[in-house]
Amino acid sequence: MKRLISTAALVAAMSVGAGAAGAQVLELAVSDSPAGLDPHIVTAFASFQVVNGTVYEALTEVGPDLRIRPSLAESWEVSDDGTTYTFTLREGVTFHDGSAMTAEDVVASIERVKSEAIGSPLASRVAAVAGASAVDERTVEMTLSEPSAPFLTQLASIAIVPSAFQADAESLQQQPVGTGPFAFEEWQPNNFILLGANEDYWRDGMPKLDGVRFNIVPESATRQVGIASGQYQMLPNIDAATALQLQGRPGVVLQDTLELSYTLIGMNTSQPPFDDPLVRQAVNYALDREAIVQAALFGSGVPAGPLSPALEAWARDVSEFPCYQHSPERARELLAEAGVETPVKLTMLVLPRQDIRDIAQVAQAQLEAAGFEVELNIPELGTFVQDWRNSNFEIFASANAGSVDPDDFFYRAFRTGGSTNVFKYSDPRVDELLETGRTERDEAARKAAYDELQGILACEGPVAHVAYGQLYTATREGLSGFEIIANRSLSTLAETSTAQ
Amino acid sequence: MRRSFILSRLTDLVVVLFGVSVITFLMIRLVPGDAVAIMLGANAEVTPERMDELRARIGLDQPIVVQYLHWIGGVLTGDLGQSLWTRRPVIDEIAVHIWPTIQLAGLSLVIGAALAVPLGVLMARLRGRGWEIGLQIGSVAGLTVPSFWLGIMMILALTTLAPGVQMLGYVPFSQDPLGNLARLILPAIALALPILANLARLVRSAMLDALQQDYIRTARAKGVSERAILYKHALRNALIPFVTSVGIMTGYLLSGAIVVEQVFAIPGLGRLLLGAIAERNYPLLQATILLVTVVFVAVNFVVDLVYAWIDPRVKT
Repeated sequence: MKRLISTAALVAAMSVGAGAAGAQVLELAVSDSPAGLDPHIVTAFASFQVVNGTVYEALTEVGPDLRIRPSLAESWEVSDDGTTYTFTLREGVTFHDGSAMTAEDVVASIERVKSEAIGSPLASRVAAVAGASAVDERTVEMTLSEPSAPFLTQLASIAIVPSAFQADAESLQQQPVGTGPFAFEEWQPNNFILLGANEDYWRDGMPKLDGVRFNIVPESATRQVGIASGQYQMLPNIDAATALQLQGRPGVVLQDTLELSYTLIGMNTSQPPFDDPLVRQAVNYALDREAIVQAALFGSGVPAGPLSPALEAWARDVSEFPCYQHSPERARELLAEAGVETPVKLTMLVLPRQDIRDIAQVAQAQLEAAGFEVELNIPELGTFVQDWRNSNFEIFASANAGSVDPDDFFYRAFRTGGSTNVFKYSDPRVDELLETGRTERDEAARKAAYDELQGILACEGPVAHVAYGQLYTATREGLSGFEIIANRSLSTLAETSTAQ
Repeated sequence: MRRSFILSRLTDLVVVLFGVSVITFLMIRLVPGDAVAIMLGANAEVTPERMDELRARIGLDQPIVVQYLHWIGGVLTGDLGQSLWTRRPVIDEIAVHIWPTIQLAGLSLVIGAALAVPLGVLMARLRGRGWEIGLQIGSVAGLTVPSFWLGIMMILALTTLAPGVQMLGYVPFSQDPLGNLARLILPAIALALPILANLARLVRSAMLDALQQDYIRTARAKGVSERAILYKHALRNALIPFVTSVGIMTGYLLSGAIVVEQVFAIPGLGRLLLGAIAERNYPLLQATILLVTVVFVAVNFVVDLVYAWIDPRVKT
């Protein structure tokens, strides 16, 4: 008994210590350690969620409603031909190092992303910018080589950094300097990244927290126990499987939204059998997407068309696509029409991620009921990426990131020779529609082009879109102001506060 | 005599290290998966030419022999190279990650070894009685329960009992000694349990073995007390295999730490190693494995010396 009491005393002493150190610092648990924090160099999700909208901001930003709104640029004007953008910058914005943010920094940031020496994977997003110049302290003019409808969306992913770092590819990796609500404080590798409140933040009254700590916790079970017991106050951007385990736990609240990213089955159109559009259609008929959502995503998701239903202004309803009617008979007819020998023998390359594995297994059974014979190949990630990139597959199951503009969904994946067109897909009409969608500034005409495009891609494209999953964030009770965003940005942490 | 013994052990050591350096170097390169492709991820908008440029920038376009010579040349002159993407010196990365592992492994070894001796002696004394069967079952359980399962169960139990206590992650001892120990005690126990079980069984059988010896009978005949026989005569001899095992345990500790660090979110060498494998961070991986090998070999070297010191028959 005596020992029990002294243990309790020790425990009490320790909790007091922890409480004093962690006042108003939000404890988050994330699974992966970032490879670096330079927003122009490391674009992987593990880095993105730590710095996007927290440490770094861009000229524009994506709001929780997925619409583009002004951020560091207060306003902008577009010339009649759509090739000149004039941005007026917000007044009184300073970087975390104390220097004022000026037009010079914006120009330097764009140049930095474009520069060969930095080698940014974001370069293609600003490829259209032929020139950027500082007109005065608060005015930036950018000229585009051709009109670009998704330009303002793409600018939301270009963080503005101080001009001093224009040619420096190393410093920001360890020590990010931005304009956001939180300033970088400390990074203990594989342990945590700590951000502190930016006292001079330009949005009044924000941030409300004193800081945010991203604890790096690789084990999913540990993260779950951690939030259930209050060691962590937030698990951002978790999947349905984890969320369902946390559902109903006392003290844990779940927020959810429909994902922009989607799961898919991709086909190599440069070789038989998928060089024939009829066979690709047959795959679409063979899939029962509802059943996949139920079996592999625990029912939390919706069947996917080419665009996420979260993009209400753009996405067509899947009921409009004839091939989304599950029909193994129709699939067999199409295979007969295509003149291929059945069963069509295939090896499916599968991304080694639990939900994708599950989807691949359900799809395997469904395809086999419709005249295919599928073997699954689930390599480790490095091998998958290599095979995927080299188009070394007949058919694969994977996931694709989405964006808030249709151009980002389609252009690089489906245009002839596009940078992620691993399907080797080529269709002149699709190329034409992609160009229209990219350059057309009239919203209605742009919408018409994307409507037609979705129709073509849904049934005959190189991708059978499978599902948009539900994305969750788990928080402790009493946290207010946080809002989940489908693009996985944690920018609303600026408005988050804990009730204490 | 002693000098040539030490020398021969030292030559073995160099051969082992050289072998390990070659094997790790080749093995990680034989694993499929391209460091550049992994770094860029599946959705990056990058052309194959650009990937070749990146590959050249980090020196992966060179023939493998050239790469090896370049690396080993650096290692011999004290330069372990830079981490592939962060460009931080590998030595700095290791310096950050080594302390949690040393602390964790050290604490586990102390817990395991310190409890194993009395427990083993107890088991030997209780031989054949009901109590001993209970202890035997316990020790088999200790050997077989996986530490990751045990770890999660311990976290679950303690977070339920004492919700306010921060017990996940790591704080350096210099920053917060109490917090440091609070966070390390659970993982150390999880890691120590198999060691404890293993060593206790070893002490038990070595004790039983020793108690059968002629000199024990002689001691008994001389009228030496049972207590003195047990602790002075039998235990001392039983400790010889114990010392060797402690050396071998170092290997177990280092591999076990990988799992335990993962579960308790401790930023140690195990995490560094797993991360390096996942991102094919060759320089980091090679250096870490080499270091782990050096530690393992060095500990066994010391054990050999200690062994020779305890048991003069070895020095031939």
